[in-house]
Amino acid sequence: MSVKKDLSIEFAGIKCKNPYFLSSSPVGNNYDMISKCFEAGWGGVFYKTIDLWNENEISPIFGSYGNAGEPWTGFKNCEHASQNTLEENLEHMRRLKRDYPDHVIFASFMGQTEDDWKLLCSYAEQADADGIEINLSCPHMGRENMGSDVGTNPKLVESFTRASVSGTKLPVIAKMTPNVTNMVPSALAAMKGGATGISAINTVKSVIDIDHDLFTTQPVINGKSAISGFSGAAIKPICLRFMTEMGNCPDLQGVPMSGVGGIYTWSDALDYLLVGARNVQVTTAVMEYGYRIVEDMISGMQHYMDEKGFNSLDELVGKALPNIVSPSELTRTYQIRPDFNEEKCVGCGRCYVSCYDGGHQAIKWNEEKRRPELDTDHCVGCHLCQKVCPVADCILPGELVWREGCQPEELILKEKFE
Amino acid sequence: MSKVVKKEYLEEAAAGYNLRTAREEARRCLVCHDAPCSEACPAGTDPARFIRSLRFNNVKGAAETIRKNNPLGGSCAKVCPYDQLCQEACSRCGIDKPIEIGRLQSFLVEQEKAFGMKNVEAPEEKKAGKAACIGAGPASLAAASVLARAGYEVTVYDAQQKAGGMLTYGIVPARLPQETVDYDIQLIKDLGVKFELGKKVESAEALKAAGYDTVFVGAGLWGTKKVDLPGADAKGVRYALDYLKEARESGGKSEIGNKVIVIGGGDVAMDCAATAKLAGAEKVMIYYRRTIEEAPAEMAEIKYVQSMGVTITTEFAPAAILEKDGKVDFVQFKGRDGQSEAKVKADTVVFAIGQSAEAVGGMDAEGVFVGGDIANGGKTVVDAVAEGKEAAAAMIDYLEKKAGVK
Repeated sequence: MSVKKDLSIEFAGIKCKNPYFLSSSPVGNNYDMISKCFEAGWGGVFYKTIDLWNENEISPIFGSYGNAGEPWTGFKNCEHASQNTLEENLEHMRRLKRDYPDHVIFASFMGQTEDDWKLLCSYAEQADADGIEINLSCPHMGRENMGSDVGTNPKLVESFTRASVSGTKLPVIAKMTPNVTNMVPSALAAMKGGATGISAINTVKSVIDIDHDLFTTQPVINGKSAISGFSGAAIKPICLRFMTEMGNCPDLQGVPMSGVGGIYTWSDALDYLLVGARNVQVTTAVMEYGYRIVEDMISGMQHYMDEKGFNSLDELVGKALPNIVSPSELTRTYQIRPDFNEEKCVGCGRCYVSCYDGGHQAIKWNEEKRRPELDTDHCVGCHLCQKVCPVADCILPGELVWREGCQPEELILKEKFE
Repeated sequence: MSKVVKKEYLEEAAAGYNLRTAREEARRCLVCHDAPCSEACPAGTDPARFIRSLRFNNVKGAAETIRKNNPLGGSCAKVCPYDQLCQEACSRCGIDKPIEIGRLQSFLVEQEKAFGMKNVEAPEEKKAGKAACIGAGPASLAAASVLARAGYEVTVYDAQQKAGGMLTYGIVPARLPQETVDYDIQLIKDLGVKFELGKKVESAEALKAAGYDTVFVGAGLWGTKKVDLPGADAKGVRYALDYLKEARESGGKSEIGNKVIVIGGGDVAMDCAATAKLAGAEKVMIYYRRTIEEAPAEMAEIKYVQSMGVTITTEFAPAAILEKDGKVDFVQFKGRDGQSEAKVKADTVVFAIGQSAEAVGGMDAEGVFVGGDIANGGKTVVDAVAEGKEAAAAMIDYLEKKAGVK
């Protein structure tokens, strides 16, 4: 049975055939690349950032984080804006819009002064773009007072957004930097400056592994390197947090949000929708695996909707936001003890080691049987044991106990762990 | 059509790991609390410890663990019956398949060599007491390493021209390359152990008389069990050790004929069959009098020879060798069921039906310790290493008592 669910969704007043967009980066830098991505199934693109300077790139440009030869945990890039001429980029976008009228194109710009921002944004209409993303957040600019330095300063965010908006009739999306303690002030400043929506996040300032021979980090450029943007799977939890905070902020209700950071699969994308995104953007996963990953993003999302009985993505947007609350609001009246399945257990003892060294010394190790035994006097129900267990369904939620003096009530609980 | 493995005699059977693939494999390890793999190693090599080191990015520390615990870590890595020892015990078997401990150990020993690590050392100052080992096979080599590291002068005697015993002469190099054996031995030489090769020692007492305070007898099983069958004297009847040794010394160029029958069901029989196949024999057939389940050979070795196209026929024992012009022509077999019979054309018959001990005098004299195949009747390399280590500990105890330290 082939499942067909409509994945179309409106974002910033623009109808999108699906929420899957390339983010503004090396993956969307010319006609050929983007036409291939559209053919593969992507709903739209945030075109690679265009600025007014043409700085030579370093070589190499990238660093990867994680075990060599395995999927990246994270990815570090130090790439600048598009190296094409402005005219070339405008022409690429025009041709794309002509050949793929049902797909959505956002131009991305980065300026240094209010005049720059205004001028750059005025080009978007010449390119037949559907909208504009303003890059207030690139963390590795070769110049001061640009990129993420702007994004961390709400005053600059507001004035540059205002300047941008003054140069165009198109919707303007302000792209946030994660290199702040709280994203809400910058997002509010962008909205005050006239932005239509917010995209978050740009890359995280990073230093990945240090080279133990050359004593610098990746990528090594003539014996040196720089702090630059980190992306990929490792940053998704950080971005979901920012999205959640903005989604739960009363002053940002109804603002169109685009989620960016560590999206590889339909389920990653769904996470973003559930915390309020109406659109998601992908780069790192495309750099690692290519445009084709969108096929499973589309199909997987349709299967999920079919299985759970959803007919539109609108039903999913923000659905998790009411359930992510302050720690002080969480129920603290009960403990769930782990239930060990002796048949499935392979006797590795990892639960015992971790419970002793990192938990509450609540697991006794039966050396003869090579199986864990729970000491219910010490168990606090933290489930660290389950987190280290290498066997599927070996440790399940077991007995529920109410704390002394606590009133039993109806609870919403997981029945098993992933 | 089946894809049959075709390799050269000196080509190694299994591909090795590189750092990346080795670390991938190490990451499959469950890092057990009381790791059963380590419990299962007779020689105490402690795979759980060295795999954990590799997993936590400490390649040199991993190599150090292997060499300190097992002086023949390189050779054991190649020929250990893992599927009956550490890998069978591996907790990961309960999920999918065990960690490839042998291959990881091989990789780490290669790293030890590449880094030129000196993981074992002998103290400059020697202790009172001289030790000798009879035989330069795995049991003696392990004993010599432990004794030398404890500060004793050790001399190893062997009748052969090269050290290593069965490691050097009795195993097909596809399974155990000579350079692996030589490297293990080099590290033992580097401890200051002296080797007296080409010198057959008939009696432990003779060495004691020559001034050694303690003697280890690890002389192995080098006597050939001759078969008593009609036609057993025909040209083309060979015995396993002679054949394997000749093949190793000639780099696989020994003459074997095109139709080869190997009689036996142990690792030595598998090695003879592999050697014959790798040396270019067209048809190699193993005949074993019992079932595969009863065969002492490691399953990996059985699969290895089968992958080369060698056939294994079970429950058939040779009854007679039929000659033509004084040469092997057919072998006649009788079935275990007492009814079946077979007559099979052959140029060569290799008997791999076990070896016997050649007598060494004075094995029960004071200060004389015995281990390895000569003591256990013929087991694995890792068992020999374990017994050599154990004997060395007893010898040190003996020497300390003798010197009045204890």
